[in-house]
Amino acid sequence: MADALPLDGIRVFDATNTYAGPTCARVLADLGAEVIHVEGLRRMDLVRLLVVADNTVGEDYWNWGGYFMKRNLGKRDLAINLDRPEGREAALRVISTCDVFLESYAPRVMRGFGLDYQSVREVRPDIVYCSLSGYGQSGPYRDWVAYGMGLEPASGISSLTGYPGEGPLRSGISLTDPLSGLIAAYAVLAALHERRRTGRGQYIDLSEHEAAIPLVGRALLAYQLTGRVPERQGNRSPDAAPQGIYPCADEDGWVAVSVQDDAEWHALCDLLGRADWRADPGLATRDGRAARHDELDAGIAAWTRGRDKAEAMRALQAAGVTAGAVLHGKDLLWNEQLAARDFFDVVEDPRAGKRPFPRQLPVRFSRFQVKARGPAPLLGQHNREVLRDLGGLTDQEIDALEAAGVAGTAPEPALPAHLVRIGAAHPVQELIEAGAFLRVEPDYKEQLSARFGTEIGKRAGE
Amino acid sequence: MADRALSGLVVVDLSLGIAGGYCTKLLADQGAEVIKVEPPEGDPTRHLGPFPDGTPDPERSALFLHLHTGKKSVTLDVTTPAGAATVRRLLARADVLVESFLPGTLARHGLAYDDLAEQYPDLVYCSITPYGQTGPWRDYRGNGFTAWATGGLAYVTGNPDREPLANGADPAEYFAGVNAALGILAALAYRDAHGGGQHVDVSLMEAVAANLEYTTALYSMQGAIRRRWYSRHVFRYPSDIFPCRDGYVAVIYGRTGLQQLAVLLDRPELLEDPLFLSYAERVKRWRELDAILEPYLRSHTAREIVEAAQDLHEPFALVLDVPGLLADPHLRERRYFQELTHPRAGKLRYPGPPYRMSETPWETGRAPLLGEHNDELPPTDQTAG
Repeated sequence: MADALPLDGIRVFDATNTYAGPTCARVLADLGAEVIHVEGLRRMDLVRLLVVADNTVGEDYWNWGGYFMKRNLGKRDLAINLDRPEGREAALRVISTCDVFLESYAPRVMRGFGLDYQSVREVRPDIVYCSLSGYGQSGPYRDWVAYGMGLEPASGISSLTGYPGEGPLRSGISLTDPLSGLIAAYAVLAALHERRRTGRGQYIDLSEHEAAIPLVGRALLAYQLTGRVPERQGNRSPDAAPQGIYPCADEDGWVAVSVQDDAEWHALCDLLGRADWRADPGLATRDGRAARHDELDAGIAAWTRGRDKAEAMRALQAAGVTAGAVLHGKDLLWNEQLAARDFFDVVEDPRAGKRPFPRQLPVRFSRFQVKARGPAPLLGQHNREVLRDLGGLTDQEIDALEAAGVAGTAPEPALPAHLVRIGAAHPVQELIEAGAFLRVEPDYKEQLSARFGTEIGKRAGE
Repeated sequence: MADRALSGLVVVDLSLGIAGGYCTKLLADQGAEVIKVEPPEGDPTRHLGPFPDGTPDPERSALFLHLHTGKKSVTLDVTTPAGAATVRRLLARADVLVESFLPGTLARHGLAYDDLAEQYPDLVYCSITPYGQTGPWRDYRGNGFTAWATGGLAYVTGNPDREPLANGADPAEYFAGVNAALGILAALAYRDAHGGGQHVDVSLMEAVAANLEYTTALYSMQGAIRRRWYSRHVFRYPSDIFPCRDGYVAVIYGRTGLQQLAVLLDRPELLEDPLFLSYAERVKRWRELDAILEPYLRSHTAREIVEAAQDLHEPFALVLDVPGLLADPHLRERRYFQELTHPRAGKLRYPGPPYRMSETPWETGRAPLLGEHNDELPPTDQTAG
């Protein structure tokens, strides 16, 4: 029997796209909600073309994006043009059966569709309606176009990140997207908690910019308390010394070491055989060690260079020093800790075949499992069942919507697949030469199949 | 204050450090009563600065003041029988317990989930640890810095010819905190729907690894191992942070490719240039593209550049530092920062609501003094312990 889940019976109208919004809705789906991902035929979710399976696409090129799959596992898909009156009418009938409405368009868009909070509340008075946007629904930047790549710099996080004495840096992912997706899911759960007690719904205005600023809260208060603007410190920290990321023997191998207290310092000295450091009163305190950080870095690197990253981490941990190998994508897929905790769900996609996907909410509960509930939907895959079973439309009415181009299963306009194939494929050789890729392993499906004990990448019928 | 989303919830917070602190801040700011149980010397974040004049003061730690808004503070040594017994009595009226000790630590004091579940079957018990409660790494030491590494984000952050880089805001800790807060509300929803409390197990490493935008997907879909590449998006260039006349600016092109960039630079001939038409060309020859952008960027301020680009619907962004955030006109108009007065730290502006709810607004209060609410502790039961 399937687990009983926290959000059993909750239905979500997910009119979001790209990254943050779909992340929120996927968390709700993993927790048991029934999620309908809603796309327009002229506003297909753009990430359907990102990280396509095996770096190529079939004729229905819009169903091959690995990026889309990860964020939309276990959802259903309704592809309908909300800017057409018949589309809006049909959607409203579906929305009237939903508990949660999510959208991530610019503030003017839902008003234009007549699907803003006031309109939706007329058909569903207790709806929990959450808008995710770059800068919020009010204020001078409200209409600014925002991508996640810009919000980490705008939130102040990048000002704290970078090599010492150099410019601000952004993380290797659009950090604020998953963060706002998770915060949005938290806000929706809080609103549903309140709705279970009072019966009322509400509107949530989530500015992805504002949701990220608490991460720099310490720096904000420190600046006001001390008058000093916090500087970029690379891998160092006022809370632990020495702290750094040190080179190892394996190719592009690194280990992170963070000496959190004096006991860890003594353990590090013993492991490295540095009785001189251990006896040095100048190094007995964190401040003393911070003052001679360059010297300590050289000594630690001399030790780490002789070991690969996994071995260095094991030895440091065994000695009682906080340390972690710097893992890359392939390392993670093979990592023993993640494997022991079933962090990857192997899901069979109709186009990509079986593939491992990381959890979106990696929390473990003792009474139920939170995990992907199924593959990501094809564009418009569930138009008929959603419009008929939830919207109460007849088959003839649905046929008419499809004939009029209001609902469908292909984007408008559909491009020749061979052109999309060229555009969606990554320039692998150039990326390797630029240093952005370490390498590409042609036998990855065989390796993954051995790791996961099932044939990865095999499509049904192959 | 019955009109707050989590009014009536009682949280006993044994966690120390950032992740647990942010988790219970999210709960407190939404109306839960959070009783922060601190060791007699105070939470470790009270001893991490920066402090005014560099003088350590447990009541004026920037990190503590930020993380513990709206909570109560009681001091208890939970490693003594009397302290553990008091925690058990506190739980009599609690819905949630949050803790961040290494696995097995609280079991030595009779405060593990299994020790409490029989007496408190409805308790939601949330544990936040570096690697989780199970698996071969469960006993390893860790913090936000090492979680960033083991979770896969350090490898893709930084310059390709340099060492991988930490993120100065310590996002691993905050992601774990949000995961924990989400897990707690999910467990409470479960309790309302099906009955019963449960154990919620949060791992810092996994909280990072769940957000790998392309890192595992590129291998599982294409066999590629992705590295770090400046501030760039791996499949877009330009999307990077550039120097400009008065600092830095994030240059990011939008839906129409580089078309609007040529308009912004007022150089329509670039639209014919292979550099503007082909991503593969830009990956090879990005320095040439930088050289094209540089004169424009160097001669304009960040705000001029972003406003001009936004007029063309391009998603350029400001690169704000702390003073820039505090002075930002948009945040000011949205009344984002919250001014709070603390008896020892004085009047300061704190980060505001991460989202705005129409019916049950977010609201925060100042951080507590160490042991400020000790008189609310349940009376000592002389027969216990």
